Amino acid sequence: MDNRSDGLIDKVWDIFSSMKTGLVLLGLVAIVSAIGTLIPQESLDPEGARAVSEIWRTLGFTRVYNSPVFQFLLGLLCINLIVCSVQRFGGIYKMTYKPEPIQEQAKLPQKVKATVTGSQAEELKQKTLALFKKKGFHVTELEKEGKWCFTAQKHRSGNWGSFVTHIAFVILILGALIGSLSGFKGYMMASEGSVVPIQEIEISKGKVQENFMVRINSVEDRILPTGERDNWYTNLSIIESGVEVLQGTLSVNHPLTYKGVTFYQSSYATGALFNLEVEGKEYTIPLHNGGIYNPPGTHLYLVLAGMKTGAENSVILYQLYNEKSQIGMGQLTSGESDTIDDTYKLTFDKAIAFTGLQVKKDPGVWVVWLGSALLMVGLVLCFYWRPVRIAGILETKEDHEARLDLGAHTGKLYTGIKEEFEKLIEELKE
Amino acid sequence: MGTNLENWEVILFYIMVGAYFASTVFYWIGMAAKKDFIAHLGTFGAILGLIANTGAIILRWVISQRPPLTNGYEFILTFCWAIVFIYLFAEFRYKFKALGSFVMPVAFLLLVFIIMSMGPSERVAAAIPPALKSKWLTFHVATAMLAYGAFAISLGLALMYLIKVKASNEKKDNWISRLPNETVLDDLSYKMICFAFPMMTLCIVTGAIWANYAWGTYWSWDPKETWSLVTWIIYAAYLHARLMYGWKGKRAAWLAVIGFAAVLFTFFGVNYFLPGLHSYA
Repeated sequence: MDNRSDGLIDKVWDIFSSMKTGLVLLGLVAIVSAIGTLIPQESLDPEGARAVSEIWRTLGFTRVYNSPVFQFLLGLLCINLIVCSVQRFGGIYKMTYKPEPIQEQAKLPQKVKATVTGSQAEELKQKTLALFKKKGFHVTELEKEGKWCFTAQKHRSGNWGSFVTHIAFVILILGALIGSLSGFKGYMMASEGSVVPIQEIEISKGKVQENFMVRINSVEDRILPTGERDNWYTNLSIIESGVEVLQGTLSVNHPLTYKGVTFYQSSYATGALFNLEVEGKEYTIPLHNGGIYNPPGTHLYLVLAGMKTGAENSVILYQLYNEKSQIGMGQLTSGESDTIDDTYKLTFDKAIAFTGLQVKKDPGVWVVWLGSALLMVGLVLCFYWRPVRIAGILETKEDHEARLDLGAHTGKLYTGIKEEFEKLIEELKE
Repeated sequence: MGTNLENWEVILFYIMVGAYFASTVFYWIGMAAKKDFIAHLGTFGAILGLIANTGAIILRWVISQRPPLTNGYEFILTFCWAIVFIYLFAEFRYKFKALGSFVMPVAFLLLVFIIMSMGPSERVAAAIPPALKSKWLTFHVATAMLAYGAFAISLGLALMYLIKVKASNEKKDNWISRLPNETVLDDLSYKMICFAFPMMTLCIVTGAIWANYAWGTYWSWDPKETWSLVTWIIYAAYLHARLMYGWKGKRAAWLAVIGFAAVLFTFFGVNYFLPGLHSYA
């Protein structure tokens, strides 16, 4: 029984430690990802996704990247990467820091090799050591049965390249996982002068734990003298328990962060500030172009259907609805009022600017950057810091001639290593 | 003064087109006719074209007062520059003229694509949206161009390899037999991918950092992002297959061809077939 379960565990381990499994998984991730670009996704194109026939939607084809299948694939890939890395750790460590010099000539690398002879074994040995040291090699030696065996290594840390790369990939996926399980993502559209509790913004993912207010001090659509748009700017204050704790300006590409919550300038809109009198009650209503507002406690809906801003005066088009039908519409210039149904008085105070902000908290983002940095370190080690490993055996022959056989491990690239090896041998022969 | 500079830019553009075309033709004739002298003219054409290309990029930079990396025209200009620059580097480093016959037409055809598909209004230095005003843009696009340029050359080498292998049984003395031997082609194609792969990774990473500043999300599965990931995975598979299973030669060459097809789709195809956030180019 034990044996059988051992066998099963071994089998599973074997499957996960195989690079073939990893490649198949990567291939599947690529295929599923590509499918996601061909079918409209709910996250990117909600309307397009709704138009996809129901069978496909039910099967999850319109939310491929959040689908259990995709996440399962990524999970398996992570396990595969971890198992592969664990399995290779010992080998890389030993090869890098505790290499065992080869002791038989026949086992030396054969593809790139050379033999150097000398009259004095000790002299040749010292010369070899000095040369390797000069060239930045780290030499591990072994004396055995009159033979001097060694392994010389340069750019040893390059051995860790693939290990670091694979771990980095796992860290990246972990960072993305942290981001998707915690934090939140939301959006707010607010006018100059308004104060918005962070708890009340539109949330598309997660839950807001924080409890502070955001006051929009000013919003600007800055145009350069050339007529080109410079950027959109929002100056905002964070207010916690009635106290302003932070004030700052943000613009596209220059976000602002408070306690891990980051505000990103995302859009800009023009809008109007209205004053509406309903049965003696007054409402101040900021509305962005196309926006709709329902004064609390009433059955009225005010729509800003269109507007044109000017340097002096702005003109707006409004519509007023009750629950059943439209009860009024009209055009107003800044400062003008309309009376509707003899009951409601609507005043267009002035044009105001609205800012659209993405609001996000992602505790995993630092993990993602860590993973990215490690990924780059790993790849640089892999491709630009190629280790050179040379093995050699020095022996005194019967005719008292000292004979040194050397061979270079070629690994990935044959030509580069060969050139470097040949240069070394030339110097050694001098 | 502005129009003057713009005229010069157009002139340089056409010098570049002419030079890359001439270079392609000279390389072909040189290879077919076994005339080293004519192949030298090919190299000369490539150098001249690269100078004009550099000039056009610098002028565009001066005119628009920002790195010229913000629309399709500017991308292709830089892409061609990277291809020819890396190619000339490889030619001088590895003494390898035959490569020009396969790489120069790629640069030339990209320019033909500009001429055929982009009207004057798409080529001018235009105002850019706030999202593109970021220092990350330069890193993001420069790494993309270097990576794509090196991938293009690995494609040229892989094609040469495949042609060479196919004709290896014939003992004729023709242009194919004068290509470098298979091992050199295979090795160099691999080297190009070794250079390009970390570059492409850096391109994706800088893109993610920038997206996080601009949109508040480092990865949104936009088609451009996704296809760059697919391309990345294809080349990652190439590297693994090569190292672990010793996939060299034919199979590796075919993977390099497929990889470059994915590069082209990511670069052009996505914009035409799969619109998304990454709509600038």
